[in-house]
Amino acid sequence: MRYAISETPVIKRVLRSRWLQWSLTALTLLFFVLAIIAGLAGTPAGNRNFGIVFVWIVWWALLILLLVPFAGRLWCGVCPIPAPGEWLQRRALVQPRPGGKLYTLSKQWPRAFRNIWLQNAGFLGVALFSSIILTTPMATALVLLGFMIVAIGTSLVFERRTFCRYLCPVGGFIGLYSQVAPLELRVKDTAVCASHTEKTCYTGSDAGYGCPWLVFPGGLTNNTTCGLCTECLKTCTRDNIAIFVRQPGADLLKTTGHKLDEAYKGLIMLACGFIYSTVLIGPWGVLKETARAVGTPGWFAYAGIFLALNLAVFPGLFWLAVRAGSIPNPKYPMSRLFADYAAVLVPLGLTAWVAFSLSFVLINFSYAWSVLSDPLGWGWNLLGTVGLKWTPYIPGLVPYLQVPVLLLGLTAALALALRTARQYGQSPWAATPVAIFCAAATLGLLGLYLA
Amino acid sequence: MIRNTQHAIRNTQWLVGGITIALVLLALLAPLPAALAGGAAPQERHITISARSFAFEPGTVRVNRGDTVIVNLESTDVVHGLYVDGYGVATQAEPGRPGQLTFVADHVGAFRFRCNVACGNLHPFMIGKLEVGPNLTWLRAIAATLITAVGALAVFWKH
Amino acid sequence: MARGRLRGKGELFALGVVLLVLVAFPAGIFGYQAWRTASAGVKIVNIVARAPEQGGFSPDRLSLRVGETVRLRISSPDVVHGLTIPGLGVNVDEIYPGKVVEVDVTPTQPGRYAFACTRWCSVDHWRMRGVIEVTGAAGALLPTQQPPLFQQLGIDIDAMRPAAQATPSAPPAIAAGAALNAKLPQDLTDPAIRRTLPPAAAFHDLRADPTNATLSDADIWNLVAWAWLKDVPPTALARAETLYTRDCAACHGPDGKGQGPAGVNLPGMAKMDPAMPKGPADFTDAGAMLAASDVLLQGKLLRGGMGTGMPEFGSLYSDTEQWAMIAYLRTFLFEK
Repeated sequence: MRYAISETPVIKRVLRSRWLQWSLTALTLLFFVLAIIAGLAGTPAGNRNFGIVFVWIVWWALLILLLVPFAGRLWCGVCPIPAPGEWLQRRALVQPRPGGKLYTLSKQWPRAFRNIWLQNAGFLGVALFSSIILTTPMATALVLLGFMIVAIGTSLVFERRTFCRYLCPVGGFIGLYSQVAPLELRVKDTAVCASHTEKTCYTGSDAGYGCPWLVFPGGLTNNTTCGLCTECLKTCTRDNIAIFVRQPGADLLKTTGHKLDEAYKGLIMLACGFIYSTVLIGPWGVLKETARAVGTPGWFAYAGIFLALNLAVFPGLFWLAVRAGSIPNPKYPMSRLFADYAAVLVPLGLTAWVAFSLSFVLINFSYAWSVLSDPLGWGWNLLGTVGLKWTPYIPGLVPYLQVPVLLLGLTAALALALRTARQYGQSPWAATPVAIFCAAATLGLLGLYLA
Repeated sequence: MIRNTQHAIRNTQWLVGGITIALVLLALLAPLPAALAGGAAPQERHITISARSFAFEPGTVRVNRGDTVIVNLESTDVVHGLYVDGYGVATQAEPGRPGQLTFVADHVGAFRFRCNVACGNLHPFMIGKLEVGPNLTWLRAIAATLITAVGALAVFWKH
Repeated sequence: MARGRLRGKGELFALGVVLLVLVAFPAGIFGYQAWRTASAGVKIVNIVARAPEQGGFSPDRLSLRVGETVRLRISSPDVVHGLTIPGLGVNVDEIYPGKVVEVDVTPTQPGRYAFACTRWCSVDHWRMRGVIEVTGAAGALLPTQQPPLFQQLGIDIDAMRPAAQATPSAPPAIAAGAALNAKLPQDLTDPAIRRTLPPAAAFHDLRADPTNATLSDADIWNLVAWAWLKDVPPTALARAETLYTRDCAACHGPDGKGQGPAGVNLPGMAKMDPAMPKGPADFTDAGAMLAASDVLLQGKLLRGGMGTGMPEFGSLYSDTEQWAMIAYLRTFLFEK
């Protein structure tokens, strides 16, 4: 049940134009540059610095509340981080070089790393230091600059958007959660692809470049790796690619064939959601101070617990839940069951992050107005709004938003758990320990927000 | 035959789903008798909250519904503020200059209070908790979660 | 197919946009800031106020000229600070992190002007001071500055003094003392002499005077209280209370008992003599306070220091303010 929204003439014309994606990217690059300058040269007071307010509050809210749940990896299509590297790689800005030629060493990414394990590690690294990065403009600027430098370097050595596909920590979880979105880019008819020898969607042509995400669109069945950059829409000579509006979460209905790296991503996101909600949003000041005091013995203990929760405790509990369910009928290897049941963590984790984000975004969004007038805290007043005071938005109503969101995630997770059991030929009872895990996680999160 | 069975299963699913949603809404929104919100007679509570970067001590404050809460905010290091979510009242303090806040705790539930004067890096996460009466919102949420879990399992069981 | 690096006007335009974003935009940011400074019409001096452990005021020494208007652009990167330049009439109550405050000063007299932070910003807040040197032609002739009274009299502020032997059993009341309608000796009506007397000595003298034989001890203490505070205008006490709250309460406590949060780790008198109590002075300690003359308190207030943790306020308080403050300190023991 899906509708090809890109077939609407107006939308089709806009998507075919190379200027749309490029100009949006130039715009995000502008904000990116401002965030870095503000972080390096602006006031260290986070709530009056563009780098903190517009990255960790405005952009984050946009991403996790709107873009990812409703448009999948759309941000990746306009993200500024890979842009300069890609322009250097293409030696072109908007109009493609003939044949979509790329000027790079075009090394292939090592086979051992063609998964999201490095992205998992990157995310853990950023998350461990998040109490500093999220609050210190200089740290944010250095992280963003670091990402861009790595992206540029990767573009010059490796093929296409290797950075986005295998290195970017943000891409790791956006990809996973984009499976929930009601938007997808797919081929209309695979038979057309079978008879098309050139496969210009992957190799590139005079009209555009081959898929920068190293994906063959003809075989794309899942949102995880498609960055919605619309190159394939421009290069397909058979007009066989379209963007569809579809049932939300359609990618998850096929619950077999999942991989361990994605399972771990789901577990890491859930664990980090719990940790952030406890340390940052909770009333326990000693935790916040410990998380911030990098290098002290207390911090090492915190780091140890952080990593243990992410890599051992949550995965361990989930493993037990999967194992408990398969005891009556242990036909399948645990690694497969584990990876496939982990699909439940996609809706569960996404709604957990939406709920967590609601708890601080609405409270702090009002900083955006004064920061627009004085992005660096230098005493400017560009728009006259610098005097607007901090006003938390609907703080009393936030719990009433968090509860339905988490319950929706729980419902989807349980439906997926039962579906997985069925696709493995197990009795529905096999899914109940996993269901208990999901319900316990939901209760735990609600306890952190409401209790 | 098979189509009829599938039809029947689908109808059952919708029915069970509908009942679940109705029960969840009931659990979350149904008005409860006021007596549940706390039977204790309202009293005056004097609470001293000590603020330092980046925590409040005590981190959690518990009062009964209807209590008149008089908060004496003391700071031990720099200028801090205290703003209570849901009540919208605030004060600020620095060493030697305590702040006073008086309000009647007529809303039941758990509310966060936070520092509203920039006091350093972790200022946006300088948070404490005010619990007024029995935390009915949390209890409702527990009920709603359990109902959702059972209902979702029932709807999607598909024997 | 077009050859060359840039094909078509589209690519040229796109390159222009990229250069705008990567080069012109950052240049514009710094350029705008430079233009703001240059076009202000007055000389701009940037002062960054940080917690003293991170540097305090930067810069903490300024050089200005008589008659030249200078705009101080003050900002804080960490916590709330304040700024007062008493000699130049500057009082900025709040320098909020990330919000720039601008204050114009036009010095009229040469000299050295102290400035200080007025909001408690760290354990070392009291160290957060600076100096403005103003050079240039003097305006009207200033009266020559006398050294403060405690120096003129050569009082040794740090000497140990015994506690007062006689202390009141109940807080002396100023109004009750006024109501007695007694005639005070010249010692107590002439401020120049009274300031050199500890209140306990005044009590002793009044008690010994035969004309006061009918008065009870409590009455005599009331007289002492009245003598000390009868000539202090309410505005002076109000000003002293503001200054006390701003500068003293953090260590000495709003109640004067010396238990403020900022004073917990200060050595206090124990620095001079380990037998003495640690920490800030307790203004409600009758034995100590009533044995101290006003001029002794003046010395401690103006000079501070000697490792006790007490800052010096000689550079910040005017004559009127310091005597008002000392009178205010008496009100911790003397009631209205």
